[in-house]
Amino acid sequence: MILLESHNVIIQTALSEKLARPSSLDVQFVDYDGVRFRLSTPERKTAVLLSMNIRCWGDLVKYGALEILKREYGALLKDVPEPEYNVSLEIDLEQAPPEGEAREAFIKSVSLLKRNALAAPFELAFRTQKELEASGSGQGELMQVHYRDEEAIYVQASADRVTVIFSTVFREETDHVLGKVFLQEFVDARRLPTIQNAPQVLYSSRDPPLEIRRVPGLRDTEDIGYVTFVLFPRHFANATVAEGTISHIQLFRDYLHYHIKCSKAYMHSRMRHRVSEFQKVLNRAKAEVATAERKTVSGRTLVSR
Amino acid sequence: MSNTLRPYLAAVRSTLTAALTLENFSSQVVERHNKPEVEVGGSKEVLLNPLTISRNENERVLIESSVNSIRLSIKIKQADEIERILCHKFARFMMQRAESFIVLRRKPVPGYDISFLITNGHTETMLKHKIVDFIIHFMEEVDKEISEMKLSLNARARVVAESYLTAFIS
Amino acid sequence: MSVLAPIICDNGTGFSKIGFAGNSDPSFVFPTAIATRGPAAQASRGPSVPAKPGHLASKRGVEDLDFFIGDEALANAKTPGYAVSYPIRHGIIDNWDYMERYWEQVIFKYLRAEPEDHYFLLTEPPLNPPENREQIAEIFFESFNIKGLYIAVQAVLALAASWSSNRVTDRTLTGTVIDSGDGVTHVIPCAEGYVIGSAIKHIPIAGRDITQFVLNLMRERGEMTNVPPEDQLRVAGKVKENYSYVCQDIVKEFRKYDAEPYKYFERYEGEHSVTGRKYSLDVGYERFLAPEIFFNPEIYSSDFLTPLPEIVDGVIQQSPIDVRRGLYKNIVLSGGSTMFQHFGNRLKRDLKQLVDQRLEASALASGSAQRSSGVEVEVISHKRQRYAVWYGGSLLADLPGFYQTCHTKAQYDEIGPSICRRYQIFGSAT
Repeated sequence: MILLESHNVIIQTALSEKLARPSSLDVQFVDYDGVRFRLSTPERKTAVLLSMNIRCWGDLVKYGALEILKREYGALLKDVPEPEYNVSLEIDLEQAPPEGEAREAFIKSVSLLKRNALAAPFELAFRTQKELEASGSGQGELMQVHYRDEEAIYVQASADRVTVIFSTVFREETDHVLGKVFLQEFVDARRLPTIQNAPQVLYSSRDPPLEIRRVPGLRDTEDIGYVTFVLFPRHFANATVAEGTISHIQLFRDYLHYHIKCSKAYMHSRMRHRVSEFQKVLNRAKAEVATAERKTVSGRTLVSR
Repeated sequence: MSNTLRPYLAAVRSTLTAALTLENFSSQVVERHNKPEVEVGGSKEVLLNPLTISRNENERVLIESSVNSIRLSIKIKQADEIERILCHKFARFMMQRAESFIVLRRKPVPGYDISFLITNGHTETMLKHKIVDFIIHFMEEVDKEISEMKLSLNARARVVAESYLTAFIS
Repeated sequence: MSVLAPIICDNGTGFSKIGFAGNSDPSFVFPTAIATRGPAAQASRGPSVPAKPGHLASKRGVEDLDFFIGDEALANAKTPGYAVSYPIRHGIIDNWDYMERYWEQVIFKYLRAEPEDHYFLLTEPPLNPPENREQIAEIFFESFNIKGLYIAVQAVLALAASWSSNRVTDRTLTGTVIDSGDGVTHVIPCAEGYVIGSAIKHIPIAGRDITQFVLNLMRERGEMTNVPPEDQLRVAGKVKENYSYVCQDIVKEFRKYDAEPYKYFERYEGEHSVTGRKYSLDVGYERFLAPEIFFNPEIYSSDFLTPLPEIVDGVIQQSPIDVRRGLYKNIVLSGGSTMFQHFGNRLKRDLKQLVDQRLEASALASGSAQRSSGVEVEVISHKRQRYAVWYGGSLLADLPGFYQTCHTKAQYDEIGPSICRRYQIFGSAT
C-alpha cells in the first residue's frame, strides 16, 4: 500500500454489515487528524446515526462545509447534530438503495464524510480562482484551516493558481531528519519529465513562505517547516480532476508521516537482519565445547544455566 | 576498499591482537572479587596506556587495555545529519541486544558510538583471532550498512514523492 | 479537545482483535496473517538485504510496502508471487519483521489513526519473555512514535472482562482463567493481577479438535456421505457452533435421545459452496458429545486423558495456599471454545465434587469432629466471552487510571525499552 485511501474503512464495513443485517450498535472510532466518529442506533435498529467531531469545524463552516455536506448528503444531514459532535447524518437503512452498485456507491459516499467536510476550503479556492481569472487579477482570501493542534493548512487563490501551504511539525528529531529527506525529494521529483505536470512543491524550514508571513501567531521554532503546493488550473480543470486533487492533497500530511514510519520499520528489519549476521560471525569465535548430554540414573537430563 | 581504510583496519587488527593478552587477575582492593580492571580503574598499576587509532577526524578507535580486560571503542563515520541518526539508531539497536553479543558493552564510552569490553573470560572461552575478526568485520560492515541504509532511504523518499505527485496528473 | 480513544490490539495466534477503547466489540477481527511478495524461501530470511550493494540505487525501494494483511492476505494467497505467513506462533511473536509491517497496515489502513495521537494497549500471552516486551516497545515507540503503551497479560484482561457479568460483585483480579481458543487451551491462575507462572497448565484440546471430533462422529454415522468432501470440515464447524451444548450426564442423555429421537435430533441444511446443490443431514449425539471431550477426553484422544475439571483443580492446588480460595471462587471463561451452553455449570459441578471429596477425605483422615465450612466454587460465564481479552482491554483502557499506568514516550526516551519490563496492574478495587 503506497497511497492512503480517503474513505473510512470502519464506516464502510459497519454500514454494509448493518444494511445486510440491521442490529443495534454503538461504536466510537477515529480518523486521521483527530477526527472522532460515533456510529449508533439511538432509536431503532434501522436508523443509524453517524456523527463526526472535527477539530477545525469552525474554520470549515466559514468556508462553506455545510453547503458541501448538504449537496452530498441532502436529507441525511440532521439540522441539529448530536451533542459533542459537529455534524450528524441519519441513515434510514430501510430507505437505502437496493443491493448492488447503487448501494456500494451510497456506502462509499457516507464513508467519505470527513473528506467531504475538509474539501470546503479547496472547492471555494477553486471557484475563487475561476472568478479571479475572469476578472484578470487580484488575490483571494487566505483561508486557514487549523486541522491539528500545532499544524494548519493555508489555502489561497490567485488569478492563475491556488496555493496550498501545510505547516508541519515533527515532534521527534529522527522524524524531523527523515522528514527533510522526504520533503527534499518532493521538491526534486518534479524535475522528472513524466511528472512535470504535477503541482509545484516548495519546502522551507522555519521561515514561513511569503503568502502567510503576515499571519499572526505563527510558530518560530526549529522543528517547524512549511510545504507549499502550487496547484495550477489543470489540476482542477473539471469536476472529476478537482475531486481527485482535493482527496489527494488533504492526506498529504498523513501520507508523509505514514511513509516516515514505514521507512523506520524498514530500517528496523534491515537492522534485525544485520544484527543476526553479526551474531553469526561472533558465534564463529566460540570455541567448540563438547556437549555430551549428561543424564541422571532415572534418565532425566541435566541442563546447565 | 579505499586506500586509507586498509592500513586503518590493519592497524586496529594488530593493536587489538597485541592487546588481547589477558590473564585472570583477582581484585587487589576487594577480597574474592574479580572485575574487569579497565572498567574499575581502581589500581593504576594494572592499567596500560590507552591508544587511539584515527583514520580521520570522524573515525577513530580507542583501545584501553589492562591486565585482565580491554575496552575498544569505535567512532563511526557520520558525514551528515542522516548518517548521524542512522548510526545512532543502529548502535542503539545493537546495544539493546548486547546480551547475545557477549563482548558488546551496553553503553558506549563518552565520545564514541559503540564500545566492546573483552575480558579474560572471553578470551578463554572464545578463539582470540576470531574475536579480532569479528571486530574488524563489524567495522567494515557498519560503514557499508549505514551508507546502504542512507541510499535506500533516499530511494524510498524518491518513490514516495513520485507516486504522490503522479497521482495528481493521472 | 478530548483525548482520542486508546487503541486496543489483541494479536492472537489465529485472529487479531483490533478496536478502540470504550466500545463493546472490536472494530476488526481478522486472521493474523500477512501475504508478502517474494518466494517463500526469501520470505523466511527476513528483508531482502541485497547481495550486491550496487543494485540498491536502481531498486524501487518500497517493495516492503507490497503486502496484504488479514482477510485480504488469505484472499491473495493464491495470487502468484504472494506467500502467506503467520507471524505469531503459539501466542508468541515469531517474526518481528512481518509483525511490524502487520501493525503498520493495521494502524494506517484499517484504523486510520495517527499513532502519534494515541495510546496503545497490547496483549501478551502468559510467560512471554521480557525481551519480547522490549521489542514491542521498540517498535511502537521508535517506528510509530506512539504516545503511550501498556502491555497487558491476556489472562488478566479476561478477568477484567468478567466484571461485566452481574454475578461478579467485587472487581478483583484474582481468579483462574480458562482460555480456550482454536489451537490450545490454557488454565491460568492469577493472584491480584499477577499470573502464577509456575502453575499454568496447557491442554492440547481446543476448538480445532472439537470440530475434528464432530466430523469423525458424523462420518462414522454416515451423515457426511452426501456432503462434498471440501465442505465437510466447515459443516462440522457449523454443527459445533450452532447445535452443541454440554449435558449433565451422558448416559441419561443417550437414553433421552433414543427414547425420542425426533424431539432431539436436529436437521442441518447446507448448500454446496460451488455448485449450490442443497443437502441436509441429521445432527444427533454429537450435539452433546462434542464439548464432552473436555470432560472425558478419552472419547477423542488416546494420549491426553485428564478431564478439564481435574486440571483446573490441580492448577489451583499448585498455587500458593493463601490464594486458593480466591481462585476457586472466581473461575472465568474466555475464548470461543468455552461458549457451549451449560459449559460453566458442568465445570462447576464437577469441580465442586472434586473439592468436596477432598475435604471429606481430609476430615476423615484427621479424625477430628470439626467440619470444614467448605470451599466456594464459582464459574463465571458472561456475554463477552468470545472476545473476552479484547473486551477486558477496552474496559480497562477506558478507566481514567489508564493514562497514568501507561509507559509514555517521554519515559521511553529517558530510560529505553527496559521500562516495559516493569508491569503495573491497575483497575482492581482491591
